Order: sequence, then structure tokens, then C-alpha cells
Amino acid sequence: MIQDHLFFTGINILLAWSVYIILLSGSLSFANGAFMAIGAYSAGVLSVKFAWPMALALAAAALATGVLGALIATPALRTRGVYLILLTTGVTFCVQVLLENFDYIGGVGGLGGMSGATVWHVYGAVVLVGVLLWWLSRSHLQRMLDAVREDEQVAAALGINTVYLKVVCFALGAALAALAGGLYSHYMSFIRPENFGVLVSVYVVLYVVFGGVNNLWGALLGAVVLTLLPELIRGLASWRPLVFGLLIVILLLVCPEGLLPWRSATLKSRVNDD
Amino acid sequence: MLAEQILNGIVLGSMYALVALGYTLVFGVLDKLNFAHGETFMLGGFVAVAASALGAPIWLAFPCAIVLCGALGLLVEWVSFRKFQSADAQITAALSSLAVGLIVIDLVQKSFGSEPVSLELPLAVRTATVNIAGTELAWIKIAILAVALTLMAALHALVQYTRVGRNIRAVAESPLSAALLGVNVRQVNQQTFVIASALAGMAGLMLALRTGYAASDIGFTFGIKALAIMAIGGMGDLRGAMAGGILVGVIEALAVQYGLGKLGEVVVWIVMILVLLIRPAGLFQSSTRQRA
Repeated sequence: MIQDHLFFTGINILLAWSVYIILLSGSLSFANGAFMAIGAYSAGVLSVKFAWPMALALAAAALATGVLGALIATPALRTRGVYLILLTTGVTFCVQVLLENFDYIGGVGGLGGMSGATVWHVYGAVVLVGVLLWWLSRSHLQRMLDAVREDEQVAAALGINTVYLKVVCFALGAALAALAGGLYSHYMSFIRPENFGVLVSVYVVLYVVFGGVNNLWGALLGAVVLTLLPELIRGLASWRPLVFGLLIVILLLVCPEGLLPWRSATLKSRVNDD
Repeated sequence: MLAEQILNGIVLGSMYALVALGYTLVFGVLDKLNFAHGETFMLGGFVAVAASALGAPIWLAFPCAIVLCGALGLLVEWVSFRKFQSADAQITAALSSLAVGLIVIDLVQKSFGSEPVSLELPLAVRTATVNIAGTELAWIKIAILAVALTLMAALHALVQYTRVGRNIRAVAESPLSAALLGVNVRQVNQQTFVIASALAGMAGLMLALRTGYAASDIGFTFGIKALAIMAIGGMGDLRGAMAGGILVGVIEALAVQYGLGKLGEVVVWIVMILVLLIRPAGLFQSSTRQRA
């Protein structure tokens, strides 16, 4: 039981970061549940039907989903704000129906037989991704992303290739969601299309919003708190959506920037200016 | 048979249109997506269930749905949109209303259970038919279609010819200029939410009457398709939402007729994605009214 909770917390941290990476460039994606599904299924097919070792299957799934993410993003990122929300929601529904109607991967019945992922694998991935994101948050690239997010036209005028940055972020987010999906499928050993409905994408976005969208610790905190809180407090588990919704509504009213609102790069630059 | 499927499609489409009208009204006035709208629609169906469980006549469910769903709309405006007026807050408002929607779903599931609840209707209502041009058509479908079309005509008249409608159009054009000209923008926002939510409630109620049950997940299945329809018709475009809704309803009915079943479900999303990529202003948008 404890192991399961730890595992799902780790997966949710990875998913929250996958949304966070895309948000770095100012785009909100409701398709990360779909990318997770694609990762889970492609890694599962590679290891079950082609007997690939798990690590290789995961890497291939993440790479393929990242490329797919880039392909989706290139036209989609021409649109902004609510249009992108609609587009990514559409992608989620299309992937869902596609999975249900594709008999090779089990259709509605699901795909089974994957094994090998443990809690250690997941937290290994969390640490690895966390270190990379931390390095990113102190790098030159973070400033460019901040510029793109705050004002795309100014960023473009400063010579930043905004489209390129946005597509790369979207692809990286998709790849990370696929990695989380692959780990999930190799831990659960059985997956069905209904595991990856639109609500998965919605919840992951809300984890990030809850924790704060401006630094990587916000996404981590949101995922940990909102995954574990209902389990820790007895009797709360059955009221999960209600508690979850109320927390988000109140938090957005009280501090719209999330629980951890600070922006690491901005803090650093202020110190340098002095 | 084909004619009947097309009628089914039009009936279904008119309900898509009613829900899409609500999305597009709110988007036109505030430039924001109301993700609690699908849940308002869902609530309408449960008003019918509650009314028949309490033994009230079914016509009484209509005013109840208008009042309850309208009140929910006011609440959503207050909680999720009042504070997030600026253009930067688009995403914040969408997420906040999404969270309100989750709360509504959970409350309904706690009260009625998470399985679909069947709606007891008098047999006479279900099976009565009328003969139009030699074809036997279910009376209830014709009645629902008539109510839906009346509501759409009423909305059109309201927006085009009344003081309330003039204010709504003024705020949709520019909230700042409207405020400078003495329009009470907050009141207009509230009116918009009440109108949109009442329409959604009626649509949910009629869908429950048509199918014979109310389900707590239709906000995320049926309701969210109306969101796609709004985008197809052009965000903020009332005629686009009506035409788009009926179009999608007919396409889905024809997909069922020709055995495509599930694929009919994605058609609306694929069309939406194409429209957003190729013609983001919407299929029906005239060039005089552009919305970025």
C-alpha cells in the first residue's frame, strides 16, 4: 500500500514537471494525459510484443512521443491561450478513441504483461529530471523562456526564436509524460484506455497550478500534497474531487500564483543588479 | 429510416447548440472559457430526476432548472471570473471554473450515485407519436426540438432587440468603452452567465427527457463536445454555435447509421483541430467581426 502511494506520487511529480516544462514557454497543455498514454502503450508494446529490455523500451517511447509532440506542437503553437487549451483537449480525446479502437494493443480490453518498474526506478527518474530542471532554472535558457512567456513579441524582437523554444519545450514535456506513462505501465502491468482519460490531464495541470507555476518546486509540492493528502487524512479519500476542487478555487482566489510563487531566476537577477 | 436518423441528429444537435451557445456567449463577453458550463448542463438533467423523484409534474422541472442552473452560473461568475478580469487571467479563470466543475460533479455523485440515474416518465409521454408527412415521429422529439428552436430564437431576439442584449453586445465589443458609456459591466457579466447557464440547464433537462436517464459524467462527454462546437462555429459567434451544433448532431447520427459508431465521437474534435489551425476565427465567422 505504502509502496503504491509512493509510486503514484513519483509518477505524478514527473507528470507535473512535464506540464511545467511546457508552461515555461507560456503554453498550457491539456494533452499530457494523452502523451502519458502514448508512452505507456508504446513502451508496453515494445517490451511485451518485441521483448525489448525495459530501459530501452522506455527510452524509445519517450523519444517517439517527444517527436510526436514536436509534430503536434509545430502547427498548434501558432495559437495561444484558450485556443491551445482547446487544441490539446481535442488531442486528448482523439488519442483516447484511437486507443479504444486499435485492436493490436487490446482496444477497450487493455494491454497486459509489462513488468519490471519499481519505486526506485521512478525516484531515480525524479532525481534525474529534477537535477536537469534545476540546472535549467539557473541557466541562460530560463531567461529566454521567461522573456517568451511574459511577452512573445518583445522576446522575438530581442532575437529569440520563440517558435523554436516553444516547440522544444512542448516536445520535452511530451517525452517526460511518456516516460512517466512507460514507468506506470511497467509497474501496473496492465493498462486500459480509460486509465488515461481527460481527467488525468486536468488533474496534472491542477497539481502545477496548486503548487505554483513559476518554479520547479511548486509542481513538485503540488503533486506530492494533492496525491498524498487524501490518503493521509482518513475519510477524505472518498471526497477527493470535492476537496481538490475547493482547494484549487480558494487558492486561486487567495494567491493566484500558487503556493510557492517565487521565480528563482528573477531573484538571482535582482541580486546581480545590486 | 434515414430521415428518422437525420431528425435524431437534429434533435441531438439542437441540444449541442444550446450548450455551445452558453460557451460562446460567455466567451464573447468576457473572452474567457467557462469550464463549469458542462457541469451546469449536467445539473439540468438531475433537476428532472429530482423533480420526478419528488413526484412533481415534469413541466415544473423547467422553471426549477432555469432557477437552479442560473444560480450556479451566478456562483461561477462570482468565484471564478469576478477576480480574473484581465486578459492575462484567461487561463486562471478557466482553471478556477474547471475546479468548480469538479466540485459540482462530486456533489451530484454524492447525492445521486455515480451511475446514471433513470428518469421515470409516464408511458404516454414516451411512446406517443405524431404523423408528419406520412412518417410516424416520436412526439417527445418534436416537442424537444420545438422548445430548443424557440429558446434559440428567443436568445437571438434578446441579444439583437432588447436593452439587455444591446449592453451584452457593447461589452463584447469592448468592456472599457461600454463602461465609459455608462454600462454596468459587472451586471452584464452576471446576466450573461445567468442566460448561458439557464440555456445549458434546459438542454440538460431535455437530454434527460429524451434519453430517459441523467448521468453525472455527461459534462465531460457531451458537454465538452459543445466546447469544440463553439470553436468550430467561431468563438463568440452565436449563429456559428447554432449551425455548428446541428451540423455535428447530424454528422454523429449519420455515423451511427452507417456503423461508424465511436468514430463519430472524434469527428467533432478533428474538425475543431482543423478549424483552429486553418481558420481560427471559425467556419461561419463573417469578416466584419474579428476576434483574435
